[in-house]
Amino acid sequence: MKGHLTKGQLIQYQFKLVSDSYLEEIAGHLAACAECRRNLEQLRHKFAALDLLREDVTASQDLISQVIEQAAEKPHVKRGAKYLEAVQTWFRKSAWIASAAAVFLVGVLFLAAYLSRHAPERPTDLVEKEIAPAVVIERKVPVTEEPAVLVAKPSEPGGYLAGLGGSVAHEAVMSEDAPFAPASAIELVTLPRRDNVQITIYNSADLTLARERRNLTLKKGWNWLQFMWANTLIDPTSLSLEPLQEADKIDVQQLVFPARLRELGRWLIRSDVSGRVPFEITYFTSGLSWRAFYMGTLSGDEKTMRLDGYVRVGNNSGEDYENAQTRLIVGKVHLLDQIAELAKRPYPYGMPMPLGGLHGYTSGGFGGMRGAAITNGDAMNRNGYILFWGEVREGLRRKEIRKEGLSEYFLYTIEGTETIPDKWGKRLLSFEAKDIPIKSLYKYDEERWGEQTIRFVSFSNDKKHNLGDTPIPNGTVKIYSQADEQGYLSYVGGTDIKYIPLDEEVELNLGPARLVSVEPILMDFKTDNYVFDGKKNIAGWDEVRTWKIEVTNTRTLPIEIEITRGFQTAYWTLQLDDKNISYEKYDAAHARFKLTLEPRGKRAFEYMVTTYHGTREEVMAKR
Amino acid sequence: MDNTDESLIAAYCQGDKTAFGEIVRRYADSMLGFLTRMSRDREEAQDLFQETFKRVHEKAHTFGGSTFKNWLFAIATNVAIDGLRRRKRLRLVSLNQPVDCPGSDEEFGATIAADNQCDPYQEAIKAEQAEKVRHAIALLPARQRATLILAYYQQLSYQQVADVLGCSIGTVRTQMFRALRKLADRLPDIGQGVE
Repeated sequence: MKGHLTKGQLIQYQFKLVSDSYLEEIAGHLAACAECRRNLEQLRHKFAALDLLREDVTASQDLISQVIEQAAEKPHVKRGAKYLEAVQTWFRKSAWIASAAAVFLVGVLFLAAYLSRHAPERPTDLVEKEIAPAVVIERKVPVTEEPAVLVAKPSEPGGYLAGLGGSVAHEAVMSEDAPFAPASAIELVTLPRRDNVQITIYNSADLTLARERRNLTLKKGWNWLQFMWANTLIDPTSLSLEPLQEADKIDVQQLVFPARLRELGRWLIRSDVSGRVPFEITYFTSGLSWRAFYMGTLSGDEKTMRLDGYVRVGNNSGEDYENAQTRLIVGKVHLLDQIAELAKRPYPYGMPMPLGGLHGYTSGGFGGMRGAAITNGDAMNRNGYILFWGEVREGLRRKEIRKEGLSEYFLYTIEGTETIPDKWGKRLLSFEAKDIPIKSLYKYDEERWGEQTIRFVSFSNDKKHNLGDTPIPNGTVKIYSQADEQGYLSYVGGTDIKYIPLDEEVELNLGPARLVSVEPILMDFKTDNYVFDGKKNIAGWDEVRTWKIEVTNTRTLPIEIEITRGFQTAYWTLQLDDKNISYEKYDAAHARFKLTLEPRGKRAFEYMVTTYHGTREEVMAKR
Repeated sequence: MDNTDESLIAAYCQGDKTAFGEIVRRYADSMLGFLTRMSRDREEAQDLFQETFKRVHEKAHTFGGSTFKNWLFAIATNVAIDGLRRRKRLRLVSLNQPVDCPGSDEEFGATIAADNQCDPYQEAIKAEQAEKVRHAIALLPARQRATLILAYYQQLSYQQVADVLGCSIGTVRTQMFRALRKLADRLPDIGQGVE
């Protein structure tokens, strides 16, 4: 293949519009040509816009009922009428002979009536077979021991399943040998709509455990059930299916992943009962996440705070979860494999190989597109949005999030159920705590924050602070203060917090405080007490600095401030003449001053620090 | 109990009225999705939906092919193409919505949906881009549009599309190629603004 691939060739390759040999030729060129690969990626990206219309459409019950009623009102045309219709059409086209044909038409009508009574009324590939006492219609297929393949009825929640392609006769005699997996070309092999689902989101590992309950209608004998996970992040290796009733009579024998068919698995179920049986399907998926965030509102005097906790649950799993009971786990879990990686494997147990291309085009035609198993029943269209919005409005009542400890994890359960469609997020109230006593503190530490003063708010996660019911998950906190008497808020600052266990104190860094400033001024510097060694070289000395610290509070509230000063050495002494100000040795090389300032107040103090160097350090150490 | 599409239609021909309801329910969502994409207008899609099943009801006795689904979509495609032609001729004006706001129904739905989003800006961009995609598809000739929608959105194989449209698989590929060539120039770039 000479030169670069044209756009047309890339389209033909992407959508498999040419012969396999030509596809291979293009693939060979792509493997060697980076520019063409880049162009292909751009093209895929371009066609990804088509997926914006991939919303599922749900027909309303009214529309369905209307269609059915219309059909019921007007009986359908029998076979004999077909001939009549053809004749009528011909006559319409030849109106000039209509009068002459009228007589003939009467004769034809007699003929048509005769045919409708005597001609077979069913399509030619259907035969009638009597199985006492009922008469059933079955397709002309060889009678084998093949199992029934379960077929969903997507339009009804919890729809039933029925056999397809199998023989009715095999109900009577059930083979003990497990049948071979059916061929790939089977229609409508999907699960029925789920009845309920519970999702447990382990945020730290991008892991969600989904437990679905679905009612399957089984036939007595062997049954196949197909599960598709195309375009989702479901880990197929984690799939599990368990009957919730009649467990002793139903045996889920194996889950097979048919060759050449990607992103689907088939369960082989042997049942001694026929009828509807509830099943639980569990699996791990990726792409669901939650994060906590908090809004704190300071009271006017900034001595108390109201704290509202929220949880935002996001869904990028590729699957819609309707009316799901949602549980959130705080804590880390250990994973051997990343679920997202497992989900992307072309074959569940094969070599890990990321799927290239646009949502699985590579899986042959469009078979790799989002599967009916996922979308059927979970469909949400514009009409669905309206319905869903109705549900949302109904669900605007705040839901509680119940919390309970789970050894090293902590479990939050959202009250009731939540619908979390794919690509959507939802914010839920986690807790509200009022009148939390807080400590407001300003800090100045040049070595950590430069020349700006930082504001902190601290409180404890305990009963004294109207908290302490649960640990507080890590998240983002935004603090507001009441700007005026009307209750308008002004943003004070925000920060990320780590997980706060019970009875633990937390200090929120709200960022620079512009209304409180600290200005250190070096007033004097001298060296003293030189010590010389035997060669008359300087072996030790003292440095004496006098600092003046000016603190200005332009706020209308009194403040408390901590000023930390560093000396670059552990050998130092400090002399402070102002008895109204105290300091403490914070660590080996730092001292910390604490003072309070009145509203719109200003204070200044001086201290003299002597640092010891060289052999003078020994003198200091002996002290 | 054998509940294949083919057995249901056979049962219906024999007088089992519930079988027709079963067929409608089974295909309602996918059929309405197909017709909505073909027509761009929900109300028209619902009309076409009724017309499609009316024809199924009337022509049930003529079904003799191997795959009911293909037969059904063939009817729906013909109904949709007829509907498009008729609409071109009549230029229907709805009294329920402003003339200058094609698709305002969709926009209304999208607005409601967007209200539930955490990022309305992103959702608004997404809705706008989706409208552009709809427009780009609507500009395709009817056969090309039907081919694209059947193959891409209804996920039928090219062979199934050929069965539905009553043509060869080569013709389907050609129609698909032409549709995609046009779309490659007309589709919006979703690189920005949408997650």
